[in-house]
Amino acid sequence: MSSPFTPLLASLIRHRGVTGCMVVGEADGMIVDSSLQIGINGDAFAALTASLYRKARRAAGAAGFGEVGFFELDADGGRMCAAGRNDLVIVVVAEPRVNVGLLRVEMLKALEAFA
Amino acid sequence: MRLSVAENWVEAPLKQFVDEARVQLAVLLNPSGQVLGQYGFASSVDVMTACALAAATTASSAELGRQVDGRPFSGLHYAGKVRQIFLGQVPMGTSSLILLTVFDSESSLGLVQLFFAELCASIAVIVPPDAPSTPALGEDFERELNRNLSVMFGRS
Repeated sequence: MSSPFTPLLASLIRHRGVTGCMVVGEADGMIVDSSLQIGINGDAFAALTASLYRKARRAAGAAGFGEVGFFELDADGGRMCAAGRNDLVIVVVAEPRVNVGLLRVEMLKALEAFA
Repeated sequence: MRLSVAENWVEAPLKQFVDEARVQLAVLLNPSGQVLGQYGFASSVDVMTACALAAATTASSAELGRQVDGRPFSGLHYAGKVRQIFLGQVPMGTSSLILLTVFDSESSLGLVQLFFAELCASIAVIVPPDAPSTPALGEDFERELNRNLSVMFGRS
């Protein structure tokens, strides 16, 4: 079953090192659409990432930094990137070797689909 | 807010659920409406009311599920403007328990469902072999209900 976000996710998953991408509701942490490799617990990842993004946004607001544009988490085994607009968040799970610069540009461009 | 339990074995999983999911209220009960543990309620009357409503709603939605889908619905979510309710069934041997929880924007449905699944897994592991598989009804019901509420709210 395809959604309006399927082409966007198909373009993100093609990046070298990307193992999964999702469009997630920021408020409820539920997956709207996703493209994930086997082994990623999408529901858990979506819920936790949306919570993290929501808190980062509130922290940025409290610090007077304005809106969060792009959110990145580095871990030993991989990276998680998120960008959101209008109560939707694009979440990308990737290996450490991923080209974050290129991914960032793609994700910010993809946010225009949420406008 | 204090977590209180009528059965010791529910304390650890219920505490973990409350801490992780960041919910405002939670009550674990059996299908007949007897409370086993609660978090966030101020009085025993509130718990009794919540348990009665949760048991009735679960029974209604389960029957509705049987009518519509041939099997009972296992979860129910209601989103209000500020607070949301999640009602889920926790499998326990041949029977099940019911979790009623209330949360606001500090949490989310995704988080509640995630940690509810962990609660179900924890309870499946720790449930004692002598735990009643069927709810106590009939002449002992009110006595048991009052006993559980007394244990949790410290009244005799």
